[in-house]
Amino acid sequence: MTTATASAADGEKTRNRRRPARPGAGPGRPGFAWAAPAAVFFGLFALVPLLLVAVLSFTRWNGLGSPEFAGLENWSALLDDPVMVKSLWLSLVLTVLGVAVQTPLSILLGVWAAGHQRNRAVLSAIYFVPLLLSITAVSVLWRAVLDPNFGIPAQAKWLFGDGNLFGVQAGALGVLVFVSTWQFTPLHTLLYQGAARAVPRVLYQAAQIDGAGRVRQFFHITLPQLRNTVVTSTILMVVGGLTTFDTVLILTQGGPGTDTTNSAYYMYQKAFKSFDFGTASAVALLLVLVAGLVSLVMVRLSGYDRMRSTLEGV
Amino acid sequence: MKRHARLLRTAVVGGASLAMTLSLAACGGSADGDSGTIHVLVYGDATNKVEKQLVDTFNKTSKVKAVLDTVPGADYQAKLQTIISGKQAPDVFFNWGGGSIEPYVDAGLLKPLDDFIAEDPGLKANFLPSVFDTAVVDGKPYGVPMRGTQPVLLFSNKKVLQDAGVTTPRTWDELLATVGTLKAKGITPIALGGGDKWPTQMWFQYVYDRVAGPELFEKAVKGDKEVWASADSRKALGMLEELIDTGAFGTNYDSVKFTDGGSPALLATGKAAFELMGSWEYSTLQDAYPDFVKNDLGYGTFPTVEGGKGDARNVAGNTNNFYSVLRTTEHPEAVAEFLKLMYSDEFVEAQLAVGNLPTTTNTPEFLDRAANPEYSKYQYDLVKEAPAFQLSWDQAFPPAATTTLHQAVQQFFNGQTDTDSFIAAMQSLPAA
Repeated sequence: MTTATASAADGEKTRNRRRPARPGAGPGRPGFAWAAPAAVFFGLFALVPLLLVAVLSFTRWNGLGSPEFAGLENWSALLDDPVMVKSLWLSLVLTVLGVAVQTPLSILLGVWAAGHQRNRAVLSAIYFVPLLLSITAVSVLWRAVLDPNFGIPAQAKWLFGDGNLFGVQAGALGVLVFVSTWQFTPLHTLLYQGAARAVPRVLYQAAQIDGAGRVRQFFHITLPQLRNTVVTSTILMVVGGLTTFDTVLILTQGGPGTDTTNSAYYMYQKAFKSFDFGTASAVALLLVLVAGLVSLVMVRLSGYDRMRSTLEGV
Repeated sequence: MKRHARLLRTAVVGGASLAMTLSLAACGGSADGDSGTIHVLVYGDATNKVEKQLVDTFNKTSKVKAVLDTVPGADYQAKLQTIISGKQAPDVFFNWGGGSIEPYVDAGLLKPLDDFIAEDPGLKANFLPSVFDTAVVDGKPYGVPMRGTQPVLLFSNKKVLQDAGVTTPRTWDELLATVGTLKAKGITPIALGGGDKWPTQMWFQYVYDRVAGPELFEKAVKGDKEVWASADSRKALGMLEELIDTGAFGTNYDSVKFTDGGSPALLATGKAAFELMGSWEYSTLQDAYPDFVKNDLGYGTFPTVEGGKGDARNVAGNTNNFYSVLRTTEHPEAVAEFLKLMYSDEFVEAQLAVGNLPTTTNTPEFLDRAANPEYSKYQYDLVKEAPAFQLSWDQAFPPAATTTLHQAVQQFFNGQTDTDSFIAAMQSLPAA
């Protein structure tokens, strides 16, 4: 699904870019052949499975034998399913919380790490480590660290109370957001670090002459210059957030009750716990539609599709 | 233009061959299963060392080699269902008999064991009939018992009980009183791995059995929805609610799991006094806390309920686990030889050594030599004397019911649903 939504954005981009000049019109314009390997892969591993899922969503199948045609049964059942609606909300909540926590953190860290001092280089290298770990390992690790009787909560009762982090919705959601943040902030920090280093020094020099302090320089030069990176990073976060699955599977199993059952986990539950692949496919398709819609809106609103250089006039 | 066409062709051919290479590489993983090996898929846990030992024994004499594949417990059923009808299907696999293999039998995936038994009657005659029959579907045998019988027992930390000046409760009222005493001493009375959900379900299984007898659930699993709303059902739920409300399980049980060692650690380290768990608790604890098992591990039956319809000798849990055979296996003779090991003396001794109780007819001969003869004899007699052996709810219902069932028991325990919504949830379960 990640590829599907990302490519929706890509498709959008190429279509708009293509509009002024037809392919093959100008000299040296690469032919379609160059796109063939990527197109074949995309077709084979994204479009074909997507199509199969769409077909499966109209069938009844438990994974054994052949699927039976079921008409709209799965879809009409889903629309009346309170867990489905709740799961979409939870996906959105997890995404919004993820963006809200990770963006300021990674901007600050990235801009800080962009400095050329040696201690910053060393610290940002260390800080990069979580990204190199597998998300599964990271989740197992945090699950153990946050054990209410033998982990940190047992030692810090003033902060965690009885340590029932996985037993209440707020706690479970908090853990999910925290663990994704811990793992993925380094990636976004890296994006911002690169972008911050690309900001022309003359801008800061000019600002210094005009008497702007560090804070003003940050808000009036750095931040505006990072605009395109904010959009890129946010889209990555949103796509990742909507399809969050591994952390939910290992940390909360969608619990307590259905309180952290987001759509991706609900799909898994339907497919691989209840062995109802028809309904699971419908959930998957619904998630693709919602994620596609969200990224389309984001692309439109942010101006990603007509991204302008931040260096105009410099 | 010509140059263009050639380029296009090169690109397409190149892309296609690249894709093929990749898909071949993806298939490579399963290719080694074809030549002279049988794959044995088992549920991953502490008992695997016995399975490993038997596979080694088998491989010493057999030309066809057995390969043991383990899947971590929580993912076993999902992994099995995904691969069983495909090319990566094992030859022999672990299951719970009955409801857990019915869908595979219906899909024609499993090999009836009649031929094997005709050749070696011992494959049937050497097992306790009541256990062997759990894996008989539509009159045909599909499984050979391959672990121990697993009644759910009330385990306790004897030292904690002694220090608190209480004894193991024999009735429900005694249990409530004991809970009060322990709570006053600042000990979590009962360890519960609520994060796994099935340990929570064990409390329902026993309370329902003690209050209403095994008949209520028997009807329910066959599709009788009314029994869930009966007076007995409501009484059982009321008792559970009372126990939860007294704080018997502490407050953070939903953050604790059995599968990652959380709840057994509570019992072994004396932070909790009781845990209701399957007999595998013994091997789990023996792995992690051998000293505790030797000195302080207590065990007993679930308390009786005054005025209840269920016999106090009834047990709940898993009758045994079974090996079933895929119809597609290329080495049926080797598989038959492998299955014969499941009633060998070596098998019985190895299972007893890790605290499991095999259900072969020769088991009693070896009970004296078990790791803990007392524990083994206790269980053996318990199972032999039990008028009814309630199969775990989530194994008795088809897999499609599991998620709803587990959510319902968790939400009832943490107060997210009340009695009426619990009853409604149970009534929504698909029948077996």
